[in-house]
Amino acid sequence: MFTSILKKVALAGGLVVSALGTAAWAEYPEKPITMVIPFGPGGSHDLNARVITSIIPTYLEQAMIVRLTPGAGGQTGTQEVANAAADGYTLLFTHNYVDMLQQYVTDVPYDPLTDFVPIARVNYAPIGVVVRADSPYETFDDLIAAADADPGSIRMSHSGNWGALFVPAAQIMLARDISFNLVPYQGGGPAMQALLSGDADVTMGFPSTLSGQIDAGEIRVLATAGTDRMFDDVPTFAEVGVEGDVGFMHRVLVAPAGTPDEAVAKLTGAFAELIEDTTFTRMMGRLNESIELLDGPTYQALREEQAVAYKELVDQLTGQ
Amino acid sequence: MLDDFITGFGMAFRLDTFLMISAGLFGGMLVGALPGFTTLLAMAILLPISFFLDPIVGIPFLLGVYKGGIFGGSIPAILVSMPGTGAAVATSRDGYKLTQQGKSRKALDMALCSSVFGDTVSDTFTMLMIFPIAFLVMQFGPPELFAVLLLSLVIIAATSGKNPLKALVMMLLGLWLSFIGTDPIGGVDRFTFGVFELRSGIPLLPMLIGVFAIPEIANVVMRSDKVQKLASVMGERLTFVEFRRCFRTICRSTAIGTGIGVIPGLGQVVAAMMGYSAAKNASDHPETFGEGELEGIAAAEAANNAVNGPTMVPLLTLGIPGDNVTAILLGAFVAQGLRPGPQLFEEQGATVFAILVAMVIANLLFLIIGYLSIPFFARLVQIKTSVLVPLVLMFAFAGTFVFRSDGFDLIMLVAFGVFGLIARAAKFDVMPMVMGFILGSPLEYAFGQTLSMGNGATWEFLFSERMGAVTVLLAIPVIGIMLWRRLSKLPAGSH
Repeated sequence: MFTSILKKVALAGGLVVSALGTAAWAEYPEKPITMVIPFGPGGSHDLNARVITSIIPTYLEQAMIVRLTPGAGGQTGTQEVANAAADGYTLLFTHNYVDMLQQYVTDVPYDPLTDFVPIARVNYAPIGVVVRADSPYETFDDLIAAADADPGSIRMSHSGNWGALFVPAAQIMLARDISFNLVPYQGGGPAMQALLSGDADVTMGFPSTLSGQIDAGEIRVLATAGTDRMFDDVPTFAEVGVEGDVGFMHRVLVAPAGTPDEAVAKLTGAFAELIEDTTFTRMMGRLNESIELLDGPTYQALREEQAVAYKELVDQLTGQ
Repeated sequence: MLDDFITGFGMAFRLDTFLMISAGLFGGMLVGALPGFTTLLAMAILLPISFFLDPIVGIPFLLGVYKGGIFGGSIPAILVSMPGTGAAVATSRDGYKLTQQGKSRKALDMALCSSVFGDTVSDTFTMLMIFPIAFLVMQFGPPELFAVLLLSLVIIAATSGKNPLKALVMMLLGLWLSFIGTDPIGGVDRFTFGVFELRSGIPLLPMLIGVFAIPEIANVVMRSDKVQKLASVMGERLTFVEFRRCFRTICRSTAIGTGIGVIPGLGQVVAAMMGYSAAKNASDHPETFGEGELEGIAAAEAANNAVNGPTMVPLLTLGIPGDNVTAILLGAFVAQGLRPGPQLFEEQGATVFAILVAMVIANLLFLIIGYLSIPFFARLVQIKTSVLVPLVLMFAFAGTFVFRSDGFDLIMLVAFGVFGLIARAAKFDVMPMVMGFILGSPLEYAFGQTLSMGNGATWEFLFSERMGAVTVLLAIPVIGIMLWRRLSKLPAGSH
């Protein structure tokens, strides 16, 4: 009852451009689609989703409603979608670490590869390793050398175990055979604050959170994810000996396995149109988010690779 | 800087800003008054509206939703003993007693006036002292947070209820309940007995409604022969004399709330409880607290609203959101092309001041909107008991369910309701349990972080590097003084 009031508020706010009158067609989608986010409000997924769902109704001719279902590190929302009817009306907006890594860390009541099919990878965020501007570590190798000389002496603040900052940190540790003292914080914001206040020696961040600090001269970037340089004078992970799909957070929309092809095709088409929408590109640009659409089958191949890499990582870290 | 301030002051005085703030306040108040709908969720849903508005309109609109929502949460707390958030728990204690005494309108008025006062003073203070506050914020890391949380818990246990030992038992129970679920640091399941739903921990909302509202409903139902009503009249409005009587308390709570707002990670729940405890402790008549004391409402509401100003500081000065509310505001900022960060003040000083001024305007507008709306809310108690009781019960269940549409939460609601009844019969106050539960998670997290930071050498780390140990040592005299004052005030033979 109240949800419908809230929906009306959202409608009145000019969010949903779609004509509800056309909803009488027996063609998908004939009612609003729910996008479940397995995290709390205010995070980068929430923000990305707010932009997507305020524009995509134009192309779906239906509203898309965000439902935040945080809990158990993302498992609560994920399980909800795994159990939902595979009719295309309940989708999950997640990222690769929750999607593919969590299954190796704990018992999850679903199988990511067989219970879900990817619809669209909307974008990805490459991570950067950063220190304070007054840090003694001028280069990535300085940092590695210090960690090598006194293992565990370098404190790295991250956004929670097996999260988007922890996993690349662990991958770097394995790739370069060093060890950081990984200290968890409740989110990327507090982790950055710990770096600035001196509680941590190094942290990581995505372009949207880093750029303000870089411009203000508060932090120095030592390396960025991938093979292409993000900054002219900063080496990539590949250049400093950290190879592979390390440090990319893929934001991906998945549906329960068995969702009708017609629904998948409609959604895929809507996303292809969405990324051409000028309001969408302008909003994402302001958020400092890239738009790098990958369709379901292409991303599925990436998921299968992630499954292998993450299993290996978890086995090595937990010593199994 | 002064130029920016003056420009910003002028920028905020726009008719559309005023109108959107009012819309936000009113909407936020309605959403906040419905159990199960959090202010945070309302802000997240309304966030995209701000994308398409001018920054000086869109961001104040969201701030309006936030401020309206916090007050809205106090409405069911006062009228039907149903606090929807931890911040309203302290308010519900005296507020509901006043409603039973037929003074609900007075109670709501006091909640409004002290909220607006606390908020306005803290916002103004923040505006004037933004850089010193920014410096202070950076001094608090996990060890300090742990120490302050521990101190808060001890103060709550020592000051709540008539029997500190019973309070301590309940608090330990609350702490234990907070440990159920996935360990926040290591990710290991604890006390879940293999139940998947318990992995994300015990949800707060069913606990709040269960232990506070269900026993009150049962109380009314079971004594229907004595014509016990929830209440029947809404009574008079608050008088200036009554406000004046509580003014010292309001000022104290405002100071406490502002101070707590500076410490990242503490928040409104701690502020409300500390404000309440301090007022009770300083009072000549502490026995009236919990029995329908207007001062109790004033103490809790001024404190939890005073948190608002300083929590904005890390966002405005560093571009770092300290909690979920500021994280949503960060989204509104960046979508507007305002990039929060250390350079924001240099580039957009006037806009930042305009937003801060809009916060103060929102408070003043809220005084008017709230004052005009209170009679409508207060009228709720005039509904016949035979209708009101089922209605409240429906809201209790619907509110619990709607929060995340999980049937498991309803089981929790009933379980906590039964527990609340038993605790009441055994004369155990449930408040320390709820506080232990709410503060247990951040306490444990801060402890885990401290252990990680020390890298195995925790004690050396604490004593050589950090203020944490100092704060723990400070706690002992504070508690000693409080206990001594309390015991010396009790009439002879009562303990």
